[in-house]
Order: sequence, then structure tokens, then C-alpha cells
Amino acid sequence: MGATFVEYASVFFETTVFLYGTVLLLIYAMLAVMSFINIRLFLRKESYTDYKVIVGSPLAPGISVIAPAFNEGLTIISNIRSLLTFDYPNYEVIIINDGSTDDTLEKVVNEFSLVKVDFAYDIKLSAKPVRGVYKSTDEAYAKLVIVDKENGKSKADATNVGINVAAYPYFLCTDVDCILHDQTLQMLIRPMMEEENKRVIATGATLRMANSCEVDEGVLIKIVAPKPLLARFQELEYIRSFVLGKMGWSYINAVPNVSGGLGMFDKEIAVKAGGYDPASFGEDMELRMRMSRYVYDNKIDAAVRYIPTTLCWTEGPTSLKIFMRQRTRWARGLLQLMQAHKKMLFNPAYGRVGLIVFPYNFFFELLAPVIEFLGIIYYIFLIYFGLVNWPYAIILLIFVYTYSVMISSLSVLWDQLTFQYYKTWRDVVGIISMVFIEMLIYHPLIVVFALRGYYFHLSNRTHTWGNMQRRGFKKATDNTPKAATT
Amino acid sequence: MSNILVIEDDDIMLKAIRNILRKDGHEVLTAKDGKEAFEKLDNEEYDVVITDLMMPYANGLEVVSRLRSNAAKRHVGIIVCSSVGNEETITEAFRLGADDYLKKPIMAGELMIRIRKLLANRNSEVKLVTKKK
Amino acid sequence: MWRDLVDLLFQAYEQFSLLPLFIEIALAFIVIAILATIVAYSAIMYKRYKSYVHDKRVAFISPIIEEMITEQVLLNEKLGMDVPTEDIEFDPAALANKIYKKPFVRQILIETLIAYRKNFRGEVGELLRKLYIDMELQKDSFSKLKSVRWEKKIKAVVELTQMDISISDVTILPLTNSTNPSLRAAARNAYVQLSKNEPFKFFDIATEPLLPWDQLELFKIITTTKDIAIPNFSRWVSYSTNKSIISFCLKLIAHYDQQSAIPAVMELLNNKDHYFRADAISCLGKLSADAAEEKMVKIYTHQPLNCQIEILKAMGSIASGRNLEFLKSEFLYSSNFDIRMNAARAIIRHNTQASRLMVEELMEMTYEENQLIIKHCLNPLIKY
Repeated sequence: MGATFVEYASVFFETTVFLYGTVLLLIYAMLAVMSFINIRLFLRKESYTDYKVIVGSPLAPGISVIAPAFNEGLTIISNIRSLLTFDYPNYEVIIINDGSTDDTLEKVVNEFSLVKVDFAYDIKLSAKPVRGVYKSTDEAYAKLVIVDKENGKSKADATNVGINVAAYPYFLCTDVDCILHDQTLQMLIRPMMEEENKRVIATGATLRMANSCEVDEGVLIKIVAPKPLLARFQELEYIRSFVLGKMGWSYINAVPNVSGGLGMFDKEIAVKAGGYDPASFGEDMELRMRMSRYVYDNKIDAAVRYIPTTLCWTEGPTSLKIFMRQRTRWARGLLQLMQAHKKMLFNPAYGRVGLIVFPYNFFFELLAPVIEFLGIIYYIFLIYFGLVNWPYAIILLIFVYTYSVMISSLSVLWDQLTFQYYKTWRDVVGIISMVFIEMLIYHPLIVVFALRGYYFHLSNRTHTWGNMQRRGFKKATDNTPKAATT
Repeated sequence: MSNILVIEDDDIMLKAIRNILRKDGHEVLTAKDGKEAFEKLDNEEYDVVITDLMMPYANGLEVVSRLRSNAAKRHVGIIVCSSVGNEETITEAFRLGADDYLKKPIMAGELMIRIRKLLANRNSEVKLVTKKK
Repeated sequence: MWRDLVDLLFQAYEQFSLLPLFIEIALAFIVIAILATIVAYSAIMYKRYKSYVHDKRVAFISPIIEEMITEQVLLNEKLGMDVPTEDIEFDPAALANKIYKKPFVRQILIETLIAYRKNFRGEVGELLRKLYIDMELQKDSFSKLKSVRWEKKIKAVVELTQMDISISDVTILPLTNSTNPSLRAAARNAYVQLSKNEPFKFFDIATEPLLPWDQLELFKIITTTKDIAIPNFSRWVSYSTNKSIISFCLKLIAHYDQQSAIPAVMELLNNKDHYFRADAISCLGKLSADAAEEKMVKIYTHQPLNCQIEILKAMGSIASGRNLEFLKSEFLYSSNFDIRMNAARAIIRHNTQASRLMVEELMEMTYEENQLIIKHCLNPLIKY
């Protein structure tokens, strides 16, 4: 009796895993094709586009750039300077000093001749109290707004204050320590302005690791692929996630997430959807879900679009401990999100978000680590009882390995077809070599950290926010923007 | 004749303006971004500064503001030359103390005339100052 | 020998066909994946090699081209001498360099000339155009126009419009109705710039939306092309059924300050679409349409928030002084923050004796948050 149950269970388990695996592989194949089509379309458009037209146009829509800062005293000045040099005619830069305990505010006040002003704004999104708003007496910095607020222990809380203060119909959400391309605003606003029948509510672009890049006063001098192993793995992961994943999903308007490191949003919709959730561990994805929910509930035909160009460079964690903390947090965020919006799962009222984005995230992002873990336990069990058909097991293992190598290789190719960021062969080989060892070293780490996150969330453990001390530009935090491992 | 600093991040435009002004008999130095511009402004005296607005490191408006808030350099003629054409930016530039604003595409002839005018005005002002003394 | 190989393969196939299905699939995919990976890396190598060669060639050629343009155009002795541009001749020897026969070089040449044209108009701009024509580069552009690829066609259209070369109606008109939205937009822009008789013809017939991104280019062309006859845009405001064209015309009316369009724009205040009404109100504000103020005040209470805010803004720029009391009561009694903010700003923008007194009076009688709003609006450091 017991034996039959075990047999049934094992047949059931094997069939499920087989189906699961097949669907996942098909999805990846599909993404590779869709992203290729989408990237090609983008490149064809790019071949004749003249962005100078929007720079010179009085019709360029206004954009508020929102960047929260916490204890960034070492780099804040050059970071703000570089945010003030976008190639765009109509924008403001809102820096939120999120209750820094160092000299961030003093430094900024001195450098940019700031004075406290009587600033009236509507608290559309609730957040921690604002202590003061500062503007520059030097007209050269008229674009700059500094908001000093009490620490809200989350990026969401700080960004919400920025949205309250923002004057323009679109806002760009970023981190003050991200290095942004000077064409960021013009390139991200474009998809918002050329959709025929849909309202584009959010756009995003590729992110990469800044770890080994040459940076001078917040300006990117030379792009170099990251040298530390952990950062190199992340670079590959980001390329796959953005260039292959997001570009593919964008083709069918099913982008799962607009990264917190760089995303442009329609302010009206973001505010009506309730803004960022300060309690969330993955506030960027949470906002994307809220906005989708809002547009479907209100019958607005909306879209989220991605472009393949890298517009943002960010420092990825290089210590295993901080990396672990980051991934644990992401995993918690994902689980939390699924719980909060579970009524959207398979709900046709939420269109593609309910039928594609949500199920994909649920089955292939949330459950993937669990299923993989169970699979390994199952195999150990089989090995223990000597039930393994070794030749088959090895063939299957090789199959999974070669397939994942192929997908990663294709994403590196798509990336190289788009723009050749790396100037040397050494950089390219450095990334390619990661393709072959990722599955053996990096991938197991991610699975374990994700499970850790789920465990913490289910056991209600409080999250300790990452080590926030900056060591000049070379620093390590766990709050690197999420890439969502698509 | 006169010392001119051209600040412009578009390489083609930078070289073009330099060549045109040199032909007109001016001494021309160039800077391709805000950082280089500030270095060159500190190291040498200029009669006229021609600046773009959007550049790496620093915005052209900062260049204008720094020149005007420095007593020793307040007299320098400033021409802003940018592809930005919205009213707000133009008025900002003038309020900060720019003498002229040329929207790209510019007319080379116009640029030269404005430089000559600036130089002429400046010379007469300098004369006035010396007379008062 | 051959036989052995065939036998071996046959045996292998027999073995293979005995395997369970999922192992067969797995084996097949392993082969596919390995092949695809090899192809991917070969493609990366090829692509990188190609762009390496391309970069090298550009690095070699660009200085030559730039020097030629500098000498022939920028430093041309006849510039500024009141010689008509058509009569300025280039040095035939400089143009005869045989590298200018290579298509690759010609394309770089076109792009460089366009880059210069974006920076220079006037005499230099004209001379750049003459160089383009003298070197017969328009032939290259026209041949691109015949390409089957839409992005090449667009590139050609853009090059020709940048260089102000007229394209015959027979060539351009079919493109203005293309099913590809980008090509359609580029062709229409070209038509507006280059057509001598009725540049705005497509405003009458277009049924598809004129996308905001395409409006940027079109707006630039309309406002910067030298001898374009600017029509009275109220015509389309009254008769067009295409909303995006009407809102584009509203922007042009405001830009050209076409006061005669006010009655036509006022008609839109009765339109059902509130986004559209907001655009019309904003246009009336920019025109400082005194005549429209009473009507706006009258319809105010029944408007949604976005239109009410636009009305307040418009009243600020019309600043007739007749409705200060209305603004005051909106400021004091509205429960909506944005309404109070915009009402305060509208009062302040009047900038008359009466309005200044009113601001002082309001400052004394109102509560803290409203006082903050007034201070905010009065502060010259804050723009919005």
C-alpha cells in the first residue's frame, strides 16, 4: 500500500516536473525570439532617429527626476551634478535626503547655495514628515529641489515624498548613486509618446554593473565589464534579464517589472494607484502591479515598454554576505507581492497581467527555487535507494546545462548586436566564461538565498536593512536595483 | 586680437566654431565639457566665452553663473549657443547674465557680428571706467 | 567505407529510437543547443570584427571629410562677401578625390554634412547644401528611397528634407499613406517642408492619430522652415474630426498667437472629451483670450478637476481683473489643494494694485496651509 503511494507520488512528481521544465524551456525560447524581433525593430527606428529634435522642442513633456539619498555625503555632490546635466530641455531634479545621519544635507546646501523655502505641496501619497524643502539662490541650479525628510526606512517612503513634490506629468525614479546616461530622459520618454492606441504608463531600460567602470565625478568615462567574479555573474544575469527577458516581454506588453534603479512613470496613474508601498520588500514590482490593477479596474488601455539600450550603471554587491541579503530581500518581496495581489492570478479581468505576467511570476519566479530544491531532494532520495538510471540522469543534466548555456549565449549575442559596450575582447571573454560556470556556482546561491527569503517571510522575521555606509564610489550595499531574474 | 573660449561637447561644432573664429582673427581655446571649461576659465583671461548648455560635468548655465559672480571675470562677454529653444531656458540664461543667446542651427555671420559688438561694447565700457578714475 | 558509416549511423538511429521519448527529445535539444551556442559565438565574433573594421575606416575617413568641408565650406573665402551661394564654386580638385566614389564614404559624407547643417543655417547652411548637390549625393539618397526596407526609406526622406531637396509629389504622396506609421510620419513631414502648394493637405485627410513624438518634428518643421505659408489653424479646429490634429493645431495657434482663432477654440469648450476641453482652455489662456473668460467662469462648476485647473491657469494669464472675487472664493473655500494653489497663483499673476491688496488680505484672513500656498507662489525661487 505504502509502496504504491510512493510510486504514484513519484510518477506524479516526475510528470509535473517534466511538464514544468518543458514549459519553462519553451518560454525561454519564445522570449529569445520575441526579444530578437523587438530589438531589431528598435534598432531600425534608431537608425534614422534624431533625438536633437526633442531637445530643441518646446513641446517636450516635463519630467521630474526623483532620487532618494541616505548618508551619501561622500559622493552626493558629484551625483547631483551629473543628474543636472541630462540632455533634455524640460526637467527638474528632486533629491530626497531620507534622514541622513551624516553631512549629506550640509554639503549640498553649501555647494549649491540652497535656502529653505516655504514650499506648499499636496500630500497625495502619505509618507514620513518633511523637515524642509530647499531651493538654490543661484539660477543655474533652478532645476534642483532638495527635500529633507525623516527617515522612513525604505526607498518607497522617500520616493513617495518626491512624487508629492514633483511638478511634472512624468517622473523618473532612480537611486542617487546610479550613473545615468545623459540621453536617459529623451530615450525613455520616447516610448511614452509613440503608442497609437495605448497609454504607456511606464518605461525602462537596461541596467549594468558599474563595479569596474572608470567613473570621474559621477560621469562615466569608460565602460569596463566587472572584474570581481560575483559582479560579473550579476552583469550576465542583468543582460539576460533585460536584453532577453524584458525586451521579449515588452514585445507582447507583458513586462513583469520596471526596475527600481531606472524607470519612468506616468505620474497621474502612479498617484492614483497609491504610489509605492513602504511596507514592500520589492517596491518597484509592487508599483508595477498596482498601476496595472488601477488601469484594468478603470478600463484604461495601458502598456509598459522597455528599450534595450543601457542607460544606468549601478554598483552590484561584491561580498557574498551583502549579496545574500539583497537576494533574500528580493525573494521576500516577490512572495509578499504574490500574497498581496493574489486575486489577479489567472484573473481575465486583468488581461495580460492576470493571464501572463502573474502566472509567469508565480510559477517560474516564485516556485522555481522551491521546485528545484525539491528536485534535488528527490534525486538524493533516489540515489540513496539506488533507483537512479544514471545514463538518463546524466543526459538530462547535460540537456539542462546546454540549454541554459544556449539561452545565456543568445542574450550575450543580442546584447552585442545592439550595442558593443565592451571595448576589448578580454571583457567579452570575461562575460562569456560566466555563461559556462554560472549554473554550477552562481545559480545554486540564488536558489538558496531565495529559499532563505521565503523562510524569513513565512516565519515573519524582520529584515535588517543593508549596510548603508558608502566607501567613496567603491561601496557595497544590498539595495542595488532589482533585475528580476527572467 | 581677442581671446575666446568655446565650450561645446559636439566635436564637429567645436572644431567648426574654432576654425571660423580663427579665420576671423581671434585667439581661440576650446573645452569639450564643463570640467575642462572651469579649468580653462581659471587659468586664463578671456574676452568672450561661447558656451553650449548641456554638457557632461556641468551645465552651461553654471558657466554663466560662475563668471558673473566672480568680480574679476564679470566683464567677460558670454554667448550661449544651444539647441534648446524653450522660453524658460532662454530667459534663465539671460537672467543669469548671458549677453546673447543663439539657437542652433546658428548663422556663422551672426555669431561673428555679435562677438564684434560685444568686444566693442566692452572696450567702450573699459574706457569709461578708466576715465572715471 | 561508406557502407560502414551508413551502417553505423543506422545502428545509432536504431539505438536512439529505442530510448524513451523524453530522452530522445533531450538528446535532440542537446544537439540544437550546442549548435545554437556555436552559431551565437561565431556571430559575436563576426559582428565584433565587422564593427572593428567599420570603426577603423570611419576613423580614417572622417578627418579627411571634415577637413574638406572645413576648407570648402566653413573657411570659404567668398563667405560673407555678398556673393550669392549659387555662384560660389568649390575647388574641383578637392572634390575629385577618388575615395568619394565609394558608397561607404559617400554615406559618411552625407551624415557629416547633415551634422553640420544641424549646427549651421544661413550662408554656411546653404553652402553645405550646395556641396551635397555638387557631389551628387542626392542620387544616393534617392536610390535609398527605392529600398524595400522602410527604415532605409525613412533615412532617405530625412536626408532629403535635411538638405532641402524637393521630392516630387508622385514619389512622396504614396508614402504619406503608408501603413507603416513611422514612414508615414516622415513622409508627411517632408511633404509639409517641401511642398510648395498645399503643405497642410494631410491635415484634411488624415484619420490616424498624429503621435506626440511625430508632432515634435512637425512642429519644428512648421516653425522653422523659411518660406512656409502659415495658414489660419482654426480651420482644422472647426472642421477636422481627428482629435490629435486638432490638439496639434491648438499648440500652433498658441505658438503663432492667432487671435482670430479664439471663437473656433471656444467652440471646443462644449466638447465631450474633457482632456480635449483642457487643451482648448489652455490654448485660450496662452492667447490671453479676454473674450473667453466669462464663458469659462460660467462652465467652471460643472467641469472635472483637470479642466477647472486649466481654467484657473488661463484666468491667471488673461488677468482681466474682473473675476478676482471668483478666484478669491475658490482659494478660500475649495477643499482641493490643487485648486487653491492655482487660484492663488492666478490672483498673483494679475500683478495689479487690486490683486496685491487681495493677496495681503488673504494672507491675514486665511489659515496656515493657505498662507503657505501664497508664500510658495510668491517665492521667485520656486517656479511651479
